[in-house]
Amino acid sequence: MLPFTVNFRPGEPVYEQVTYAVKKAIATGQLAAGSRFPAVRTLSQELRINPNTAHKVVTSLTAEGVLLVHPGIGTVVAPPTAGSAADRAALLNDELERLVVEARRLGLDEDKVLAAVRGHWRKLKGIQ
Amino acid sequence: MNAIECDNLSRSFGRVPAVRELTLAIPEGRFFALLGPNGAGKTTLLKLLLNLLRPTGGTSRILGHESSRLTASEFRRIGYVADGQDLPEWMTVAQLMEFCRPLYPTWDGALATRLQAMFDLPGDRPIKKLSRGMRMKAALLSSLSYRPDLMVLDEPFGGLDPLVRDEFIQGLLELPGDDRPRTFIVSSHDIDEVERLADDVGFLAGGRLLVHESADSLRGRFRTVEVVGSAIAPPAGRPAGWLEVKQPSGNVIQLVHGAFSPAAQSELTALFPGSTVSVHAMTLSEIFLVLARGHRDSAGKEAA
Repeated sequence: MLPFTVNFRPGEPVYEQVTYAVKKAIATGQLAAGSRFPAVRTLSQELRINPNTAHKVVTSLTAEGVLLVHPGIGTVVAPPTAGSAADRAALLNDELERLVVEARRLGLDEDKVLAAVRGHWRKLKGIQ
Repeated sequence: MNAIECDNLSRSFGRVPAVRELTLAIPEGRFFALLGPNGAGKTTLLKLLLNLLRPTGGTSRILGHESSRLTASEFRRIGYVADGQDLPEWMTVAQLMEFCRPLYPTWDGALATRLQAMFDLPGDRPIKKLSRGMRMKAALLSSLSYRPDLMVLDEPFGGLDPLVRDEFIQGLLELPGDDRPRTFIVSSHDIDEVERLADDVGFLAGGRLLVHESADSLRGRFRTVEVVGSAIAPPAGRPAGWLEVKQPSGNVIQLVHGAFSPAAQSELTALFPGSTVSVHAMTLSEIFLVLARGHRDSAGKEAA
């Protein structure tokens, strides 16, 4: 059993779906800092994904500092970091812009979007 | 190193070409999905690679050896599972395994035991009495157990129920993960079966390889686009990458974009100021249909 779940959706790169699922599991506390992260082979077999893709997931999460590799011990979930200034800027620019564009296209007003953001923020905190 | 190389490989049956001047290289360690409609030449290509058929032109190499000169020592490193393949019908699964074991120096008894339990295969029943799914699992079991460097699977999922298909995929994934690169080539007419497994996708139609690229790059460049505005019309010259352009009404244009990028997005916005442009990702199976329709239409024009 994996310590997180992935609900695969067709049409999106498998690698992006899995890395997102891992980050979400960390955000909700399902994956605690310091806990063991499954090996590439286990990821591939449990999720029925290509081993090259599973390898890419672990390498990129390690490069981002989400996972830490301890030689001889294995891979563990890294403690939360404040995030670099560049990461924060990227989130505020790209992700939020996309949200606002989509919301306007669907005719949502500012208050509704802000309320939904607050709702999700609390939901994740609540689970933790 | 490449696990598979074809150079102008051709095969005709009488005057009917099945594979036409096909050139292809698959690096080792990749999972290659060979897709194409029925009659595209998939089975012929795989048989040519394994020297089960002789080419009428060109050459192919497999694990560094010319296909036409493959010997027993190469075949010990290759697994082949095909829909409807010949199996010794009178043997039980246990007898089949005992028969195969001494033929392969790399036979992994522990893996064989684990797979047989995972596949839920009865050891004592003759193969002729097994269901279709059980037969396919028996064929896969006897191939995976010697840990081949290359697995060639021809329509392995046809007619398998979802549970058996899942066991089959789980079995395939037992192979990689040690120190040797394992290469997979899997033919299918249904991409959904291999969407999560494929590194690379080859699209075969009419004996020609129309597309060979990574699954992620295909997903990246194909989009459906819908433009909604008032009294809009597609531009006179068709922009690069536009496919299947439709105009269901004077206010809507729909198309498939085969070369999507941020630049293509800006181009769309510039072409239709004041209109709403929505862009959606496509599944590999939707992309596959667009490619198949495109090929059918251009083949029709060629014939006319």
